[in-house]
Amino acid sequence: MKTFTVREVDFSYSPIIPIFQGLTIDFDSRTTALVGQNGAGKTTLVKLMKGLLKPDKGELLVDGKSISEQTAAQLAKRMGLVFQNPNDQVFKTNVLDEVMFGPLNIGFSKREAEKQAMNALRKVALESKVAENPYDLSLSERKLIALASILAMDTEMVIFDEPTMGQDFAGKEKIKAIIQELKAEGKLVICILHDMDFAAEVFERTIVLNQGKVILDDETREVFSEKEVLEKAFLEQPSVSQIAHALGFEKSFIHEAELIQFLKDVQRLNPDLS
Amino acid sequence: MSTIEVENLKYRYPDTTKLVLNDLNFSVEKGECLGIIGENTAGKSTLCYALAGLVPHFYKGAYGGKVTVNGLVVRDHEIATIVENIGLVFENPFSQMTGAKQTVYEEVAFGLENMGLVRQEMHTRIEKYLKLLAVYSVKDKNPFDLSGGQMQRVAIASVLAMEPEVLILDEPTSQLDPQGSQEVFEVIEELTKGGMTIILVEHKMDKIAQYADRVLLLHEGRQVDLDTPENIFSRGDLTDFGLTPPVVTTIAKALGIQYPGTKLYPVTIEEFKRLGEDK
Amino acid sequence: MGSMTLYVEKNSLIHHLDPLVKLLYVAASIALTYILPEPLFIAGVLFITFLLLVVGKVFRNSLPIVALSMVLIFSLVIVQGFFHPDNATELFAIGPVVFYEEGLTVALGLVLRVLVMVGAFSVLILTTRPDEMVERLIKKGMSPKIGHVILSVLQLIPQMRATMGKITDAQRSRGMETEGKLLVRIKAFFPLIGPVVLNSLNETKERSIALEMRGFDAPGKKTFLNEEKIYPYNKQFAGMLVIIILLAIVWRVIG
Repeated sequence: MKTFTVREVDFSYSPIIPIFQGLTIDFDSRTTALVGQNGAGKTTLVKLMKGLLKPDKGELLVDGKSISEQTAAQLAKRMGLVFQNPNDQVFKTNVLDEVMFGPLNIGFSKREAEKQAMNALRKVALESKVAENPYDLSLSERKLIALASILAMDTEMVIFDEPTMGQDFAGKEKIKAIIQELKAEGKLVICILHDMDFAAEVFERTIVLNQGKVILDDETREVFSEKEVLEKAFLEQPSVSQIAHALGFEKSFIHEAELIQFLKDVQRLNPDLS
Repeated sequence: MSTIEVENLKYRYPDTTKLVLNDLNFSVEKGECLGIIGENTAGKSTLCYALAGLVPHFYKGAYGGKVTVNGLVVRDHEIATIVENIGLVFENPFSQMTGAKQTVYEEVAFGLENMGLVRQEMHTRIEKYLKLLAVYSVKDKNPFDLSGGQMQRVAIASVLAMEPEVLILDEPTSQLDPQGSQEVFEVIEELTKGGMTIILVEHKMDKIAQYADRVLLLHEGRQVDLDTPENIFSRGDLTDFGLTPPVVTTIAKALGIQYPGTKLYPVTIEEFKRLGEDK
Repeated sequence: MGSMTLYVEKNSLIHHLDPLVKLLYVAASIALTYILPEPLFIAGVLFITFLLLVVGKVFRNSLPIVALSMVLIFSLVIVQGFFHPDNATELFAIGPVVFYEEGLTVALGLVLRVLVMVGAFSVLILTTRPDEMVERLIKKGMSPKIGHVILSVLQLIPQMRATMGKITDAQRSRGMETEGKLLVRIKAFFPLIGPVVLNSLNETKERSIALEMRGFDAPGKKTFLNEEKIYPYNKQFAGMLVIIILLAIVWRVIG
């Protein structure tokens, strides 16, 4: 899969309140963060993309070909969606069976499914827990199990809904590594996020949704330099940008390392300051 | 006597073998804001339960040591008595709505009815705390029709209306969107300024740095350290406990910006700026 | 999210009745079907119950509940039709399966009785604010603890309904087919049960913590924010129900 296109899509849950009107987005090989308030339409958008909802008007295209006729279960072969709350999906009594459920559904043989499942569990560093009951694990571990159960399906595109919520530093590092690995394998990665620091650090492209409309869509750096527009959507800049701004620098920073380098240069150029 | 005193607290959940709280000792003074940090298995929530009496009254299991809140020994009193001294707000705003009431106004009344307050006093308190938490405008709505941020503020109002001495906030914003979090942190700021005794569990280290007077660092149920935010976040071994300091502290470390004559780094942007300029 | 009750807000005579009177009606209508177990008589009680649903403007809302209980009713008919010990008169046969008149008569009585129960409970649940009912019971001396058990049971169905959709989506995303033949649908049902039940249990646990934190179990005397409501014709309605029950008993004993 090279591109995923949402073209001129209209959608509403009830006729009075339209969610999307003529929404158009082209997703490409850049890892993409989708940010915005609750109610901005992020989850509705990914449900449309996954075929869990059907648009009232418009088209969804994979590499230019329409996928409108396919059911969610058929699309599952090509696109994975990791839900926010793992408790909405976990139902098997051991971790391995849970992770194998998806691959088996989309036609992997038992042997292949097991291999895929073990691979995926290794990626989230929980391969030692294969025999345990998922409900004996902590919520953050269960969240990683749910993630692994999608990775095991080896889909060409993976969508994450709030993967960092409730994760501590170590959990976030794992998720970051997984996203970069998916990217390296040539897969499309899209991620709904409330955590601006994580979005700035990990994603190449950021899309800001506000009340069903795309109000910003660009390289992550460009998006997060638009302080006023972000504030209008009730979003904050990442911490690094805020710090740079508070220190009185106009330049836009989104990574810790680049701000540090910049400040070191400033110190060096103004020896009387240090 | 301190508002909260914890002595040799140990606790293990029923049917488990591992101590979730292992020999904790600390106290919290009146008007202080204590931050609690640690990775997911550190025991932060269980400690909150132990302060509010859910451990050992709701969650049984093996319990040792002593927790005193406002002069009350937690182990010897019913939860209903303890909660008049210490209130707990937790992560999920949705499940904190009792479901027993049809409007926000009545929702706040729920705890007050249980305390047996007279009607006039109830109305006075409900109005006061709905206004304080900026949810007065939704007072006639069904609690379940609110946004996450509003719901969480109603939960805080409901607990505060019982006028406890201490408020525990256990990751109050982790399920909220950025705007909802912002709304809740504005309230926390107001409360700390107003001299409320607060216990704040939070993953966002910059918020801990901003509001906490002291920080308790937990790891695997043990108390690793209890000190000022500057001391805690200047530690070199935070990653061993699954933590990172606030971004501003990381930058200060890289640039060597310290409080003069100490090994301490700034933890807020204001201090960073001040020290950077002095230098 | 929507509210977490089955209660339907409407303005009707039934809505204004005292929850206790409606509770008494539930008890009375079920008792009647036992005191006078003639199918024709039970049908009469059923008719009155449905009439109350119509007057309460909630007849349509009661249909899904009735439909759900049809599953139970259906299995009753089959079991009684086959296996009733008094079976003698053959009525009709489907292949090797023979249905008997005696069994079917008993089954009919049971079906009507279940419908009365479901209908009477619908009258109560659909037209009564759960908090109003529980508050009324607590004022009458019931322990608040039991009151909140009732409340959480009442919340269970809407709660499950709310999580069901999310869980179906999560499993469909993992390639589970939910559309199509009956067998496919039945197979798709199992991966939903576990998460639905566990999620509900989890939420119930969290909510009971929230209740504890609001001191609902306090030993002292509770007060109430809202002044006591005056219910119209309370005594008359309750008296009428009691008299009807007494008459039925007398009828049964004499007749």
